[in-house]
Amino acid sequence: MTANPSELAERAAGVVGSDRFSSDNGTAKVRVESDRWVEAHRALAVEMPYFSWLSAIDWDTEVVVGDPPQSDDIEPRYEILSCLGNVETGESVILSTDIAKDEPSIASLTGVFGGADWHEREAAEMLGIDFVGHPNLTHLYLPDAFEGHPLRKSFPLLTRDVKPWPGIVDVEPMPDEEGPSTENPEDAG
Amino acid sequence: MTTVDRHRLSMHHSEVQVSVELQTPDMTLNLGPQHPSTHGVLRLIARVDGEVIKEVEPVIGYMHRGYEKLAEVRTYAQITTLVNRIDWVSGFANEIPFMVATERLMGLEVPERAQYIRLILTEMARISSHLVFLSSFPLELGASTPLMHALRERERVLDLLEGVTGGRFHPNFNRVGGVKPAAGAGKSEKKVAQDLPKGFLDQTRQAMQHVRDVCDDLKDLVVGNEIFMERTKGIGIIPVDKALAFGVSGPNLRASGVAFDIRKTDDYLPYSNFEFDVATGQNGDCFDRYSVRLEEVYQSSRIIDQAVDSIPSGELQAKVPRIFKVPAGEIYVRAENPKGEMGYYIVSEGGRGPYRLKIRSASFSNLSVLPWLLKGQLIPDIIAILGSLDFVLGDVDR
Amino acid sequence: MSALFDNFWALLGLKAVVAILVILNVALVIIFAELKISAHMQSRVGPYFAGGRYGWAQPLADGLKFIQKEDLVPRDADRPVFKLAPMVVLAGTVATFVIIPFSPTLVVRDLDLGVFYALAAGSVATIGVLMAGWSSANKYSLMGGLRAAAQLIAYELPLVLAVVGVVIHAGTLSMSGIVEAQAEPFFHLGQTAIHLPYIFQGQIIGFAIFFIAMLAELNRTPFDMPIAESELVMGYLTEYSGIRFTMFFLGEYAGMFAMSAIASSLFLGGYYFPGLDSGTFGPIVLMAKVGLLVFVMIWIRWTFPRLREDQLQSFAWRWLVPLSLVNLAVTATFKVVF
Repeated sequence: MTANPSELAERAAGVVGSDRFSSDNGTAKVRVESDRWVEAHRALAVEMPYFSWLSAIDWDTEVVVGDPPQSDDIEPRYEILSCLGNVETGESVILSTDIAKDEPSIASLTGVFGGADWHEREAAEMLGIDFVGHPNLTHLYLPDAFEGHPLRKSFPLLTRDVKPWPGIVDVEPMPDEEGPSTENPEDAG
Repeated sequence: MTTVDRHRLSMHHSEVQVSVELQTPDMTLNLGPQHPSTHGVLRLIARVDGEVIKEVEPVIGYMHRGYEKLAEVRTYAQITTLVNRIDWVSGFANEIPFMVATERLMGLEVPERAQYIRLILTEMARISSHLVFLSSFPLELGASTPLMHALRERERVLDLLEGVTGGRFHPNFNRVGGVKPAAGAGKSEKKVAQDLPKGFLDQTRQAMQHVRDVCDDLKDLVVGNEIFMERTKGIGIIPVDKALAFGVSGPNLRASGVAFDIRKTDDYLPYSNFEFDVATGQNGDCFDRYSVRLEEVYQSSRIIDQAVDSIPSGELQAKVPRIFKVPAGEIYVRAENPKGEMGYYIVSEGGRGPYRLKIRSASFSNLSVLPWLLKGQLIPDIIAILGSLDFVLGDVDR
Repeated sequence: MSALFDNFWALLGLKAVVAILVILNVALVIIFAELKISAHMQSRVGPYFAGGRYGWAQPLADGLKFIQKEDLVPRDADRPVFKLAPMVVLAGTVATFVIIPFSPTLVVRDLDLGVFYALAAGSVATIGVLMAGWSSANKYSLMGGLRAAAQLIAYELPLVLAVVGVVIHAGTLSMSGIVEAQAEPFFHLGQTAIHLPYIFQGQIIGFAIFFIAMLAELNRTPFDMPIAESELVMGYLTEYSGIRFTMFFLGEYAGMFAMSAIASSLFLGGYYFPGLDSGTFGPIVLMAKVGLLVFVMIWIRWTFPRLREDQLQSFAWRWLVPLSLVNLAVTATFKVVF
């Protein structure tokens, strides 16, 4: 890493005019208000013109698939993420914002980055988010007649309902803790 | 009265026919999903006037396997098998950023030898992926001989990969905390040394020499060919600002003159221990995209040679149980894959698998520039441009 | 027996049968040569099992396989034209064989306008290609057919102009006449008569232009845009299968032979080789020269990528046509002056 993640996050937060930033696990992340989404990108794009990706997370305490989140103080919402970078210094920053679950919509980034087109189409079909101002918000991957939004936590994965995953699924303790089967790490996976 | 009509009236009858441009309806040409040059199942709906493209709309999704959803119901170890199927031409390289991200979330220290093995095999995957491109791109332009010569040497590299991992395309060799030890290794001190097959390091040195030799041949046979230059120079130019706005990365970005290499900027593998140059082009055309990748093969073989000479001995894997929980947190780790930036954004909520896994694949962004890039080009140039972007549909659709 | 040979029609029929047999066999040999030569250029072995040794029967086996295939016609195709197209291609190529002199006597028909006839008959094949492209009701086929037509127009002109130089030299349009003219001593070095084919009598540029235009006329790499499998799937051949595809295939390879034989006769001295009796060794000499040219064509095909259609056109109109005109003017001037 060329820059210290916490300094980077602080600097980027200053550029977009936000005071909420984090650098956990070396990932610089800046949170902005959803109504300043496009504005924040436009401001940061001067320094970081490399548009890496855009996606979204469905935050919910009740999930149909996978392990439920351990903490139950999660506020149900969609979190939109985008990753910008600077190709000269190699720095990259993740911008994120929250939008409400009922009628999720946010302004489109296609006016700032041409590459946002496909990423937003993907997020729209997978999570049902409306990107206002997108020129062609049709399905990218799924058939036109597909109903539902697969990456929502309420969308069941039918194959897993029909047949549970075979093999070991129970959690084992870490080797430095007390517990069985620590002497065969090579079998992992 | 339209302008044309008014124009007609002012002219002599015989002049009318030559002055009004012949208006022909555009033809819609459907390339793919079954077409020899679409690398699998890409479909292009092109509106053409003669052989000139007016507009092109890529249709993807024929390979969509829903890996981001599948990852939510699998454990971290099980996801390894998924991620090396994203870009199947360089399966091993796909596993690295995912593993590094998981290990960082867990705070694991990966043994140095394991890191070196990962690095050597990643560079082998890069060589194998680039050799496929370097040989199949001339094929798309009509020259089939480079294919045979380059794939013959790629076979040596794949044999080495297979010798270590047991798989040519889907190695599934990485484990959280290191790489998979050979069967029985780890039980005693003696067997730890059996991690790499006998003679692997020597054979690697030989294979690298062969790879460099075939690249010398390709330089003469392809890059120096007058017709090849005619077909590729000045074709499909991606200017830097467009490349950045569309997230074009990897050799495609470097061909436009940007020396952006995640191997140099990030520290996901110990690349800082080795000397290598970042190959860049000037014009960002198909020719530069070809020569940048050709140069990268030389650089990769250089890295491998250094790594083989300096590989340390030691453990292959940190101690990790088979099924484990990962502490809550978010992390984004990216890596320089043969196709470009490959990254995983892992959101863990303390479960056996990720709460959300975003896969940032290089080919997806590299391909998204296509509608802009193909406008006004000729049909034969579609093939040249498509080929020069070096995408894999599994990497686009995930 | 001699009565049979005296009958004009019987003799003509016999000659035609022999010519067709020769064409078929020659095409098979060239196909086999291409398979083997390309294999060795690409560090492969090539056909190996068919026929027992060296896979010599591979072209035959391929042909038999094609004959067994269903004869498919697309629903929207223009059926009569679609079915006629391969025959036109093959017929055009076969017609060229009529004037190829294998020896002073071994020629189906030595026409006075032999060269003119050969060039005219050779371009009939392109009409067949255009028919195939048009009638297939397939966009790729259509584009392939149109490319072939554009290519024909662009390359027929330099081809003819290159030949005119030779015709001026020889003073005749008869193929045999041109070969005989090359058998005449070019000059005498003391007592020794020096025989030179036209390629060494100043027609080397003419030969180069003829050879390039010939590649374009035959749709061989680097001028194989009408087929261009990476762009147009298979171009005008996309919808063809079975025996009709085989006819195109045979036509292509027989065409290679025919054009090479014409080039050999015009520029390389045909059946004549100094010191060898043309009557006895003529066919062998011609075959050797043809073999050389065919090898060069195969060599080029497996080495070069293909050009783009517009590059091909500009190459033809901006380089080959002016160059062949200059060649023509220079040849004519020398003919008049000396």
